[in-house]
Amino acid sequence: MTTATVRTGTRPVFWVALGLLAVVLLALPLILRSDSRLNIAILVLVYAALAQAWNLLGGFAGQISLGNAAFFGLGAYTSTILFSRWEVTPWLGMLGGALVAAVFAVIIGYPVFRLGGHYFAIATIAMAEIVLTVFNDWEFVGGAVGLLIPFARVDGRPADSWYYLQFNQHKEPYYYIALALVVLVTAVTIGVSRSKVGYYLRAIKNDQQAARALGVHVLRYKLIAIALSAAFSAIVGTFYAQYLLYIDPETTMRLELSVLIALVAILGGVGTVAGPLIGAAVLIPAAELTRSQLGGTGNAVDLILYGGLIILISIFQPNGLMGLVERVRRRGRGRPLTPPSDEEALAREEAPLLGTYEEERG
Amino acid sequence: MALLEVDGVTKQFDGLVANQDVSFHVEEGEIVGLIGPNGAGKTTLFNCISGFFPPTRGTIRLDGTDITGWAPERVVHQGLARTFQVVRTFPDLTVRENVMIGAFARTNSTAQARRIADELIAFTGLASRADVLGANLTIADKKRVELTRALATGPRLLMLDEVMAGLTPTERVQAVELIRAIRERGVTVLLVEHVMEVVMPISHRVIVLDSGRKIAEGPPAAIVENPEVIAAYLGEKYRPQRTGED
Ligand SMILES: Nc1ncnc2c1ncn2[C@@H]1O[C@H](COP(=O)(O)OP(=O)(O)O)[C@@H](O)[C@H]1O
Ligand SMILES: [Mg+2]
Repeated sequence: MTTATVRTGTRPVFWVALGLLAVVLLALPLILRSDSRLNIAILVLVYAALAQAWNLLGGFAGQISLGNAAFFGLGAYTSTILFSRWEVTPWLGMLGGALVAAVFAVIIGYPVFRLGGHYFAIATIAMAEIVLTVFNDWEFVGGAVGLLIPFARVDGRPADSWYYLQFNQHKEPYYYIALALVVLVTAVTIGVSRSKVGYYLRAIKNDQQAARALGVHVLRYKLIAIALSAAFSAIVGTFYAQYLLYIDPETTMRLELSVLIALVAILGGVGTVAGPLIGAAVLIPAAELTRSQLGGTGNAVDLILYGGLIILISIFQPNGLMGLVERVRRRGRGRPLTPPSDEEALAREEAPLLGTYEEERG
Repeated sequence: MALLEVDGVTKQFDGLVANQDVSFHVEEGEIVGLIGPNGAGKTTLFNCISGFFPPTRGTIRLDGTDITGWAPERVVHQGLARTFQVVRTFPDLTVRENVMIGAFARTNSTAQARRIADELIAFTGLASRADVLGANLTIADKKRVELTRALATGPRLLMLDEVMAGLTPTERVQAVELIRAIRERGVTVLLVEHVMEVVMPISHRVIVLDSGRKIAEGPPAAIVENPEVIAAYLGEKYRPQRTGED
């Protein structure tokens, strides 16, 4: 997030728009009035939260992860095992999952980040595939069959329970919890982006050597980013397990999930706070629609489609939908915050030319 | 005790010896010039001192602490900051944000980092550019950002790698003024240039590198008349002229 976005955020128009959006989001379950439409809304929120968590690592720190589903899955499994074996409330399980995922992320991140270069994306794919394979073969966690989450019951009938994070009669609470998760991850993202960590992550994304020369412990801050990303992905994982009441390795950890999470953030606009949210709102309903058209779930067609989209966006619109928004806004208001002097405008035009010249000599 | 002591530093790249047994020191409060023709090994020496390369042999001490082989970020926290010859401005960050990254070496508070950055941006004459993205700056301004954000880390020793190269004569005069002002703030400066004229007027001492070796060291007036220096580096082009100012 640039200073420009922060500053714009304090304009009255922005707060009015945000207020309206809040009202609409809070009233949405009343408007939708059907479980299948509510389901899509919940999925949008789940992916918005996941993409926002991905954004901390991929957007701010520039470390493109194609394995975040592993963190999501670890969250889902941790709380589910704690609940089904020892009746630990999923709310605690959520924190447990966040911790497990964060520790796992740091253990994986430490050697991979030290390896450096562009291996990170590939390493995350391998990491997630290994976790998937292990869970498929691991009896204790149900293997490939997965785990059923026992119903919370009142008088023998499946019931709604905040304590057990289960809503078998009315699904609306799931929607509001998912909304709260999105708000939570977004608030954390805003907090991070305004803190030293956020500044350092953007510096790392821009130029690691320059960052080091200014005293930035690059490895430490990348580990902070991956731990945060993993923890929040895991929290969403717990929620998702409680929503489906059934998990298996394929549903929670498959590659398409990782790719879709990345795609949502990339489509919306990496490194911005609003990007992942917009990306989810646009992409998830579209994906659900094509899925019902094409029939079946989780097939290779999805993956090809998502991969193709990522490539197209990277080439033609690397700043995603937020980039389009920025462009329109700048056209309306004139680009910089302080109106440029003629000298500045001139400097801006000359810069690339001179820059290239100097770099060739240097 | 000298602020910086470089003792017998050798750096080899495979077969190539970029620095051979280089020793020198920088006293607190000095401006020291490090000159030499292109390829003499100046940037390599900078990289060894600032932790970007481990030297093959030799030791580097900062205020008595052996910092040989330390990671660059650790060296910064010990009080040594450097700029890059080929500027590495963060393109997606504004000038203020670029400088704040440096300032965060001294504080965890964003507000405090912004205060440090704004003060230094005013000091180095970048105030009107504060909200411009790094990518949109002229080369002269990029070099200024490079210097400002290194200064923001709060160094005791600032190492500048060819900050004047590519500048117009007017910009050079401004840069010289700025370097003097930096010293006035109590920061010691080690200045690398390959253009001799810019180093002479502001340096208290000059060290000359050629083909990786130190071939001369002394006050500017003596250096410009040193036959070995003239032969190795200046050739016939440079006519010695009185430049000493202090
Ligand atoms: N990373 C490197 N790997 C191999 N050779 C290098 C490297 N960096 C510099 N050199 C070589 O070391 C010598 C000195 O270069 P450099 O330190 O950049 O000189 P200067 O800054 O004085 O122009 C040159 O021959 C250069 O090619
Ligand atoms: Mg050089």
